[in-house]
Amino acid sequence: MTMEPHRRRLETIWSPIVLIGIVAVVVALGQFSGAESVTLTINEMLIRMVVVIGVYTFVGNTGILSFGQVAFMCIGAYAAGWAAGPPAWKQLMLTGLPAFLNETQYPFIVAVLGGGLLATVIAALFGAAIIRLTGIAASIATFAFLAAVNSLYSNWDSVTAGASSIIGIPTVANSWVFFAYVAFAIICAALFQQSRVGLMVRASRDDEIAAKSVAINVVHVRLSAFVLSAFLVGLGGGLYAHFLGVISVDVFYLNLTFLTLAMLIIGGSGSLSGAVIGTLFVTLIVEILRKFEAGVTIQSHILGLPRYSQEIGLGIVLALVLVLRPSGLTNGSEIPCPFSRLSMRRSRSEQETLTSS
Amino acid sequence: MPLIEVDDVHVNYGRLSALRGVSLNVEDGEIVCICGPNGAGKSTILKAIAGGVRPRLGAIRFAGVALMGKAPEAISRLGLSFVPEGRHVFSTLSVDENLRIGSYQRRDRTNINADRERMLELFPRLRERLKQPAGKLSGGEQQMLVICRALMTRPRIILVDEPSLGLAPQIIGRVYDILLDMRRRDNVTLLINEQSSERVMRVADRVYVLRNGVIRLCIRPADIADGRSLKSAYFGFDEPQETLQKGAQQ
Amino acid sequence: MIGFLQNVIDAISLGSLYALAALGIGLLFGVLRLINFAHGDFISVGAYALIVPPLQASADVTAQMFIGRWPLPFMLVATSTIVIALAILCYLLLFRYLKSSSPPTLMIASFAASYVIQNVLLIVYGAREKSVNLWPSLIQQVDIGALHVAKLQLATIGATMILMLLLTAILRLTPLGVQMRAAAEDFRMAQYLGVRSNYVISVAFAVSGVLAVAVSLLFVAQTGILTFQMGVPLMLFAFIGTVIGGMGSLVGAAVGGMAVGLAASLLQAYLPGEMRSFRDAFVFTLVILILIVRPTGLFPTRAFTERV
Repeated sequence: MTMEPHRRRLETIWSPIVLIGIVAVVVALGQFSGAESVTLTINEMLIRMVVVIGVYTFVGNTGILSFGQVAFMCIGAYAAGWAAGPPAWKQLMLTGLPAFLNETQYPFIVAVLGGGLLATVIAALFGAAIIRLTGIAASIATFAFLAAVNSLYSNWDSVTAGASSIIGIPTVANSWVFFAYVAFAIICAALFQQSRVGLMVRASRDDEIAAKSVAINVVHVRLSAFVLSAFLVGLGGGLYAHFLGVISVDVFYLNLTFLTLAMLIIGGSGSLSGAVIGTLFVTLIVEILRKFEAGVTIQSHILGLPRYSQEIGLGIVLALVLVLRPSGLTNGSEIPCPFSRLSMRRSRSEQETLTSS
Repeated sequence: MPLIEVDDVHVNYGRLSALRGVSLNVEDGEIVCICGPNGAGKSTILKAIAGGVRPRLGAIRFAGVALMGKAPEAISRLGLSFVPEGRHVFSTLSVDENLRIGSYQRRDRTNINADRERMLELFPRLRERLKQPAGKLSGGEQQMLVICRALMTRPRIILVDEPSLGLAPQIIGRVYDILLDMRRRDNVTLLINEQSSERVMRVADRVYVLRNGVIRLCIRPADIADGRSLKSAYFGFDEPQETLQKGAQQ
Repeated sequence: MIGFLQNVIDAISLGSLYALAALGIGLLFGVLRLINFAHGDFISVGAYALIVPPLQASADVTAQMFIGRWPLPFMLVATSTIVIALAILCYLLLFRYLKSSSPPTLMIASFAASYVIQNVLLIVYGAREKSVNLWPSLIQQVDIGALHVAKLQLATIGATMILMLLLTAILRLTPLGVQMRAAAEDFRMAQYLGVRSNYVISVAFAVSGVLAVAVSLLFVAQTGILTFQMGVPLMLFAFIGTVIGGMGSLVGAAVGGMAVGLAASLLQAYLPGEMRSFRDAFVFTLVILILIVRPTGLFPTRAFTERV
C-alpha cells in the first residue's frame, strides 16, 4: 500500500474521532435544551452506549453472539453499589459484604472502576472455561451464564439484598461525566480492533481454520476480546448504578439484553460505528414512539399510540433490519474518511460472517 | 427448442466469480457431459440449473419455462432431478424411505410401485437393506440409492454431479448402466459432470469443457478422431482459433 | 422410601412438562435451525386464550374464563387454532425470510418476535397477574398404594406420553413425517427432491404450536396464574433441555427436557435449606459444564455436528 504514514494514521483515527464528535454534539444539544427529562434520556443513552460498545467488542470482533454481557453489567453495577453505597445502610442490609466494603463509601471513579475490574476477573474465569465453544454452543453457554448470574444475585440476600434493591448510591447527573466514559470506551474499542490482537481476532472470525494455520492462537485472542468486552460492560454497570442511585437485579436480564443487542444489530454489528450509531438511532426511535404514546396533538386531534408501542416498535424495527439489511445501518463499515481514496470499508465477507451462514 | 437452455449465466459466491458467462444447451433425449478441472464451476452450473444457487446474471430455461428465481422444489416438480456431489443420502431414514421421498410429488400412484420394483431389481442390494438406515450403506450402495431416489421422481432430465467420485470401477459401471437404461426406456435426458474424460468420450452425445468459469469447448465425441482437442481445452494449452469459435457458437 | 418415591413422581411430572416444551423447540430447530425464543410466548398465548379478552385494561385480578369453560375437545381445538395461527404467522411474516440465515440471526429474530408478542399481551391484558381456575377437579389426589398422586400429575405424564407417541407416529408413518425428517437432516437435498419447504416448515410450526398448547394448559392448571412472561421460565428450561439432549434430535430434546425437570425437581427436594433458592443457578451452571464437556449435547444427530 503506497500511502504516507501520516495519511494512514489519519485513516485509523478518523472514525473514532468523528464518533466521539457526534456524541459530543448530541450531549451539547441536550445540555442546551435545559430540560431535565432530556438530560436523563441522554445520560441513560450514554450509559447504554458504553455497554453496547462493550458488547460490540466481543460480538463484532469474534462473530460469536453472546447473550451474557448484561450479566457483567449486573456484576459491575453491584460492585459499584457495594463500594459507593452508604455504609450505614450496607452494614444493616448487606451483612455478607466484607469489611472493607461495608465500612467505607468510595468515590465515584473508584466504584465504577471497581465494577469494571470485578467484571473483568469473572470474565477471565468464565471465559477461559467456555472460550473453546463456538457457534450455537457458545451463545447458549452465555445465555446460561446470564440466567445463572441473575438467579445467583436474586437470591444472595446477604450480599445483594436479593429481590429488593440497593439504594442510596450517590447519583451523578452531569452528562459530560458519562460522555467521558463513552469517549474512553470508543478509544478502547478502536485501539483494540486495530491492535495486533484485534486483527488476529477478526482474522479468526472470518476463517477460523485459516487463522489457526498461521499460528494464531484463536482461543487466547478471543478470550482477550471477551475480557475487554466485560470490562467495558462492567464500567457501564457501575455508571448505571450512579445514574439511578438504585439497583435491582431484574433490570439486568432479558429486556436489557434484547435492547442492547437490538441497538448493536440495528446499527451494524460489524463495526464500532455501528455500536455508536445504533444506540443513537434506537434511542431516537424509542423517544419518538414515547412521545406518540403520550399523545401528540395535531390540529386539535390527539394522536396516540397504546402503551408499550415503544417496545413493539423496537421489535418490529429489529425484525425489519434482520430481513432487509442484516448488516445494519452502517453495513459493517466505519465512518469513511473523506480525505483519502481508500475508505475504512471492511470487506463484505467480514460483516456477513455474523449475519449469514 | 432445447430442453435446457443456459444463457450467459454469471454466478458469484460473495466476491468470487464462479461462472462468468456460461451458455449451453441440452436437447431432449441427449446425453451431455460437462468436463473440466476442479474449481472450474461444474458443480455450480448444475446447482444453478436446479435452483440451488441464484445467478447474478443470465437466463435459464427448462422446456421454455424460465427457472431463475424458482425454488428448487418447484424446479424438481417441473421434471428436473438433481443428484449433487457427495451422495447426500438421508442417513437417518431407511433405504425405503429414501426411495419414497422421490415419489411423493408424483400423481401417478400406480406407476410408483412399478418404478420402485424396477430400481430394486436393478440393484438387489438395495432390496436386501430396504429397512436399514441409509447411513449404514457403503459408498457405492449410497450412490446407487441416490440415483434411484432421483429417478423415482420420474424426471424428464436428471442432472448428476460427479457420479464416479470415490467409487470402485464396477460400481461406476452399474451406475452408468442404470442411467443409460433410463435414457433408453423412458427417454430421460442426462446432464452429467464427469471427471473421467475417457468415460465421457464413450458415453456422451456431446461434451462441454468448462474451465475457470467459462465454456472452452463443445465437441461431439463422434467427430473426434483422437482426444487431443479435448485434452488441450481441459488442460489449458493454446487452442487453435477454429475450436474456440466452435465453442462460442454452441 | 415413600418420601423419595413421592419426590420422584413430582420430578417425572415436571420433567414431562419440560420434555413437551423441549419437543416444541427441538422440532423447529431440527427443521429450520431455529431456536425459537418465542415458544415460551406461544405457551403464554395459549393460556391467555382461555380468558375473556378485556376491552380496556382490566383491573380484575380474577379473570373470567371464556374458552376455559368449554368442554375439553372444543377447548383444545379453539386454543390450538389460536396458537397455531400465531405460530404460522410468525413463520410467514418473519422466519420465512430468514430461512438461509445463520442460527445466531434466527435466534435474535425469535428474540424479537418474543419481545413483540409479550408486549402485545401487555397491551391487551395489562401487566397485572390474573388468577384462573382451570380443571379444579384435577387437584384432587388419588392413592396408588401408599403414594398420594395429584390427578394433574397423572394427566401431565399421560398427556406427554400420548403426544410423544402421536408425534412419533406422524414422523415415522406419514409421508409428511418422512419429508419433515428428511428436511431436518438435509434441507437442501429435500428441496431438490421436490419436498415443499414452505409447507413442511409451516406444519412444523403448527405442530410446535400444538405442543405449546398442551404445555400451557397443563401449566395453568397447576399454577393458576397468568402473567405476560409466564412462558419464559418454561422456554428457558426447555431450551436448555434441548441443548443438553442434543440439538437436532427429537429424542434428545425429550430426554434433555426430562433430565432438566428431574434435576430441578430433585434439587428442590434435596438441596439443603439455604441453598434451595439457588436451585436455578445450580441448574444453569450444570448446563454450562455439560456444554463444555459435550458441546453438541448428549445425543446429537450427525447432521448437526460441525465438520472441519
